[in-house]
Amino acid sequence: MKSTAAAPAPATTRPARASKAAAPRRIRRQLVTSPWLFAAPGLAVVGVFILYPFVSTIINSFTDKRQLVEGKYVGLANFRELLHDDMFWIGLRNSTLYVLVVVPALVVLPLLLALLVQKQIPGITFFRSAFYTPVVASIVVVGLIWVWMLDERGLVNAVLEAVGAGKVGFLSDQWLLLFSAMAVTVWKGLGYYMIIYLAALANVPRELHEAAAVDGAGPVRRFLSVTVPAVRSTMVLVAALSSVAAFKVFSEVYLMAGPTGGPAGEDTTLVMLVQRTGTGLTGRVGYASAISVVIFVVTVALMLLVLRADRKEDK
Amino acid sequence: MRHSRISRSPRRAVVAAALAAVMLPLSACGGDEGGSSDASGKVEGEITFQTWNLKANFKSYFEGLIDDFEQKYPDAKVKWVDQPGEGYADKISADAAGGTLPDVVNVSPDLVAPLAKAGIALDLDKSAGKYEKEYLPGAWKSHQVPGLEGTYAFPWYLNTGPLFYNKRLFKDAGLDANKPPKTYDELFDDAEELAKKSKGKVATLANVPTIEDFGRYGVPLMNKEGTGFTFNDTKGVELLTKYKELYDAKALDGQALTATPESTGKKFLTEAVAMNPGSALDLEKFKKDAPRLYKNIGITPQISSTGKDNMYVMGVMVNTRTKRTPAAVAFAHFVTDAQRQMSFAKKVAIFPSTKGSLDDPYFTKQDGSDETRVRIAAAKSLKTAVNYTPVLFSEQMKIELRNAVARALQGKQSPKEALDNAVKACDRLLKQS
Repeated sequence: MKSTAAAPAPATTRPARASKAAAPRRIRRQLVTSPWLFAAPGLAVVGVFILYPFVSTIINSFTDKRQLVEGKYVGLANFRELLHDDMFWIGLRNSTLYVLVVVPALVVLPLLLALLVQKQIPGITFFRSAFYTPVVASIVVVGLIWVWMLDERGLVNAVLEAVGAGKVGFLSDQWLLLFSAMAVTVWKGLGYYMIIYLAALANVPRELHEAAAVDGAGPVRRFLSVTVPAVRSTMVLVAALSSVAAFKVFSEVYLMAGPTGGPAGEDTTLVMLVQRTGTGLTGRVGYASAISVVIFVVTVALMLLVLRADRKEDK
Repeated sequence: MRHSRISRSPRRAVVAAALAAVMLPLSACGGDEGGSSDASGKVEGEITFQTWNLKANFKSYFEGLIDDFEQKYPDAKVKWVDQPGEGYADKISADAAGGTLPDVVNVSPDLVAPLAKAGIALDLDKSAGKYEKEYLPGAWKSHQVPGLEGTYAFPWYLNTGPLFYNKRLFKDAGLDANKPPKTYDELFDDAEELAKKSKGKVATLANVPTIEDFGRYGVPLMNKEGTGFTFNDTKGVELLTKYKELYDAKALDGQALTATPESTGKKFLTEAVAMNPGSALDLEKFKKDAPRLYKNIGITPQISSTGKDNMYVMGVMVNTRTKRTPAAVAFAHFVTDAQRQMSFAKKVAIFPSTKGSLDDPYFTKQDGSDETRVRIAAAKSLKTAVNYTPVLFSEQMKIELRNAVARALQGKQSPKEALDNAVKACDRLLKQS
C-alpha cells in the first residue's frame, strides 16, 4: 500500500513541474520566433529583391558573365578594363558634375521656395500645389515636354529668335544638353524637397525670429542666423538624398540625350553606361556589374562625406 | 535531447521556409534544358507564340490565324503573347536566361544571332529543311549566323521603302522638284545647294549614316569569315568625309548627332528636313498628320551604289527548349507560309518572304494611287534587296559606330581615325559576344 500510495505521487507532481517549466519556455520561444515570423515577409522581399541582386552583382563583377553565357572568374580584369575605358571616365565626369551642380541647387532653392510658400496668404495653397506638381508628374512625360520645348524648333528657341537672340542648340551641344538635363532634375525635385523643408520650418520656434527682429536683425540676417541653423539637419538630409539621386541619374539624360548619350556619347552618365553595357542579348553582365560596384562605392563615399561634414559642424 | 530537438525544429522550419522563399523564385532561373530537335512527330500539345508589338493593331488577324491552326491540328493549342516594342531584346534576353522563352518567337536577324550562339534557337536546316524551297533564297539566308552552321528562324515579312522628299523645299532652293537625286553624288550636291539657298535653315537629311548606309554605299562591312568588321576601308572613309562636308554646310540637321528614327520622321513631317527614307506606311501618316507635306510629297527610289536596296527582315524562331518541337515547328511554318504572309501583307504595308508571292497582282498591278505605286516599287526592289545590317552587329556596336561618326562630324577625330576606332571597338565586342 505504502509503495502503491507513494508511487503515484511523483507521477502527479512531475507533469505539473514540467508544464510550469514548459510555459515560460514556450513564451521564451515565442518571444524569439514571433518577431522573425512577423518580419519574414519583409525579409524575404529584401532578400530576393535587394540582398540577392546586390551580392550577385558583386560576384558578377569578378566574372566575364554575359546575358546568355555563364561567366567564369576573371579576377580584377573588369576593373582594370574600366580604367582604360574612355566612356567610363566620361560617365564618371558627368555623374560627378551632376552632383556638383544639382545638389547645391536642391539644398538651397527648395528652402527659399519653402520660405515663400510658408506664408499664410490667400491662395498660397495653389502655389504649394503648383510647385509640387512636377514631383508627381511622370519623368517620361516631363522629359518629353522639355525635349519639345528645347528643340531647335521648340518654344524656347522660338522665344529666343523672337527677341533676336538666335537659336541655341540645347539638344545638340554636349554641355548645354547636360545642363538642360540638370535644370530638369532641379525643376522636378524642387517641390519634393520644399515639402521636407516646410515640415522642418514648422518646427522653428517663432520666438527666435521675434527675438532676432527685436535685436534689429533684418530678413537676410534672420534667415542666416535663425532659419539656416534651425533647419541645418534637414539640409544635410536633403544633401544626402539629392547627392545619391544625382549620382545615379538616368532618366532625364536618357530622355533628352537619347540612347547614345548625346553627341558622340559625351553626355553618358554611369548608370546609362550600365544600362548600355549590360542589357540586350549580347549584354556584358560582368562588366556592367563592375561599373555598378563603382557606383555603389562612390555613393557610399558621398553619404559618408555628407554625414562627416554634418558631424564636423556639430563639433 | 528531445527538448532541445523540439525547440530547434521551429527555428529550422523558419530558416527552411525563409530559404525556400528566397530560393524558389530563383530556382526559376535555372531553366529547363529539355526539348528535342526532331520535328517529325505528331503536332500536339500547348505551345506559346510571342509576337513583337503586333497585338494592338492585328489582334483579329492573329486570333484568326491561331484558330485556323488549331482547326488543322485539333490536338494542338496555341497561347499567344505579345510584347511591347520597347525593350523587346531585354525581354527575350531575360526569358532566355530564365528558361521561360516561349516556344515560338518573333525575332529579327540581330536578335536570333546571340540566341543561336547560346543554343536556344532551333537549327531549321536540320529540323525543317524541307520548307526552305518555299522562301526567297535571300530571306532564308538572312537568319544564318557567320561561324555557325544552319538557319535559325523562318523568314517572315520583309520591308523596304523609297526615299521621300519635299518638292516645295526643293523648288524653294531652285532645284528641279521632278528630278530628285538618283546617285550619292547628286544627293550630296543637292543637299549642299539646299543648305546654301536656305542659308542653313533647311537641311536635307536628319540622320547620320548607319551601318546600312555604309552597306548601300558599297562599303564592305565584314570579312568573309564573319570574324571582323571592315567598314573603315577607303570607301567607308569616303562616305564619312562626304557627311562631314554636309554637316559643316548645315545640309545635315543640327540635331542629327542625337537623332532617332522617330525624331527624323518628325523633322520630315514638320518640313524641317527635305528628305527621309520611309515605307508605304508613312504615306498614310503624311496624309493624316501633315496634309501640306502630303501635297508636296515626292517619291524616289533608295539611293544605292550597289544596285541593291536595303531591306528589313522579320523572322519566327523555334526555341530549342520547347517540349513540343513538332507543334512549334509546324506553327512557325504555318505563320510564315505563303497563304498567311499574303493575307498579312494585305492588312498592312509589309511584303511576304515566300517565293512567288511578290508576283501576285497585288504587288504588280498599278491602280493610280501613291500607296500602290510605292508598294509595287518596293516589291520589285525586294527581289534583289539585301539586309545590309550584319546579323552579328549588336545594339552596342550600333552605338559605337554612331558615336564614332559623331566624333568625325564634330571634327574631334578624322573620318579615318573615327572609323578605325569604331572597327576596333566593334571587333572587341564581337570577340566578347
